[in-house]
Amino acid sequence: MRKYLLRRAAFGLSTLIGVSLIIFVVLRILPGDPLVAMFGLEGFAKLAPDDRARIMEDLGLSDPLPVQYARWMHDITTGSLGRSFFRGEKVSEIILHRGPLSAEIGLLAVLISWLVGLPVGIISAFRPNSLSDNVARSLSILFLAIPGFWLGMLIVLATLFWFNYKTPLVVVHLWQDPWANLQLIVGPAIVLGLGQGAYIARMARSCLLEVIREDYVRTARAKGLKEALVVMRHALPNALLPVITLSGILMGFVLGGSVAVEQAFGVPGLGRALVVAVIERDTIVVQNLVMLYAVIFVFINVAVDLSYAWLDPRIRYR
Amino acid sequence: MTDARVGVRAALAVGRVEPLPERSVTRELAGFARRNPMAAAAGLVGLLIVVMAITAPLIAPSDPLKTDFRRMANPPDARSFFGTDQVGRDTLSRVIYGARSSLIVAFASVLLGTTVGALWGVASGYLGGRFDLVSQRITEVLQSFPDLILAMAISMAIGTGMPAVIVAIAITRIPFGNRVIRSVALTIRELAYVEAARAAGGSAFRVMTLHVLPQCVAPYLVLATAHLGVAIIIEAALGFLGVGIPPPTPTWGNMLADSLTSLVPHWWLVFFPGLAITVTVLAFNLFGDGIRDTLDPRLSPAFLRMMAGGRRG
Repeated sequence: MRKYLLRRAAFGLSTLIGVSLIIFVVLRILPGDPLVAMFGLEGFAKLAPDDRARIMEDLGLSDPLPVQYARWMHDITTGSLGRSFFRGEKVSEIILHRGPLSAEIGLLAVLISWLVGLPVGIISAFRPNSLSDNVARSLSILFLAIPGFWLGMLIVLATLFWFNYKTPLVVVHLWQDPWANLQLIVGPAIVLGLGQGAYIARMARSCLLEVIREDYVRTARAKGLKEALVVMRHALPNALLPVITLSGILMGFVLGGSVAVEQAFGVPGLGRALVVAVIERDTIVVQNLVMLYAVIFVFINVAVDLSYAWLDPRIRYR
Repeated sequence: MTDARVGVRAALAVGRVEPLPERSVTRELAGFARRNPMAAAAGLVGLLIVVMAITAPLIAPSDPLKTDFRRMANPPDARSFFGTDQVGRDTLSRVIYGARSSLIVAFASVLLGTTVGALWGVASGYLGGRFDLVSQRITEVLQSFPDLILAMAISMAIGTGMPAVIVAIAITRIPFGNRVIRSVALTIRELAYVEAARAAGGSAFRVMTLHVLPQCVAPYLVLATAHLGVAIIIEAALGFLGVGIPPPTPTWGNMLADSLTSLVPHWWLVFFPGLAITVTVLAFNLFGDGIRDTLDPRLSPAFLRMMAGGRRG
């Protein structure tokens, strides 16, 4: 197990180096000049060439690209991630201030997706093609098609219209005011959770249906076990493995989707910060936030792989 | 396949061969509709949306860009069924025109991304070795970004026009094409007829294009239709976040973004563009499911698993 863990960790780390290279290449071939983005075209025209050079120097953008890349890698290991072009805000501060909110949304969404998706999938697989199965499947097909941010906008509109309620617009941390914090995160988490729950339900159903045909399940039935026990104790554990993997993949959707859903709810999380930075072409912030999202995603995938190996020892010996 | 062949052989043995029914397009379509009524209906809706996009200038009640300051933010009424926006543009016309950007981006990006990914996957699976190893590492890296975030970063780097959005979404589709088609190519490579082609002296390029590639068409189509819906949602999300196709060109995404500019959004400006996205994605998804069941019934559950469990090294 330890060897497997080390192998996966090394694999994840090498992937991250590739990720950082891609981000760097994509963002540095930017056709726009960062100074134009900062000062606008007119402001840029007014700047003397010396000033331009000096500001570029200050921003660390006039060094050769390999030097810039090396400095970025160094920054990441030390945790100081540079500053926003516009606000002078430190990127690490942005992350520490807004990150917890997005993390709470993500975790709650995953929890909701399991709490909703798994029972629905089990009920569907229990009685395939029954009324409840058809309703569940139709709903999950529907939820796969509804864009999360639109559902979010509708929820915001509905609560505003019927309850005249609007969520707070400022960052409130769990440890400051749990109730206000919950109001911020519950909407996005439900929207994201239901979207992922639809996938989980589909996957759980198809895996359970396949496992139920296996001999050992027939044996369990033949020896007179109750159907509930057959499903819970014999079928479910084996059917869960792919569902866990799927959940890891879905975390990527949650991470990506949360950007749009946060915008829809007006939640001032990390996703909002990323959107603002992209629109303002704030390269340093975008570079680090995209990296952060990728790091989290890779980390989750390594964790999923490890849990998979832990649950199914055959994997390790491959 | 083998069953059918055994059947033909058995029929030959007793001297009675039923002529195969003629495979006409209408007959095939009718068969598809009978087996998958849901998918056929969805396909029809999808087709209607495509027709709507193509004939937008003919069926839209008014110019989607024409502002009318006497009719600003009007709720739906007899003159404009979907209401008007903050500058008096007709929402119905904008939704109809929005289908154009949405569909062009979705089809072009999926075609581009899946094709590049599939060709890469064929080469990767067939050639194997170091090329395959490097390819898989690159794919792994590309899949380490959440779709939407990668698309955002790319479209920030290369600009916000329609071509930029297409390329941005296409790049996020490449890994899927690569992985799925590679796994197909890996099995095809081992088949006897491919070995025969190699033994007959066919170059790697010749064997890949003439013998491996045709076998990948069915999974390619399944994959492409399965990703149309995702592409539409990503396009809408990019538009919603302000990094998609910029206004004034109406897209469903930037219409939703526009609706947020007023303090209290008007419900018709939120509801109708989103409904258009949902209906379109639903139609394409259901149609894609039908295509998958028809082209390869064995794929259905395994397909999902391949998408999900494919990253196991």
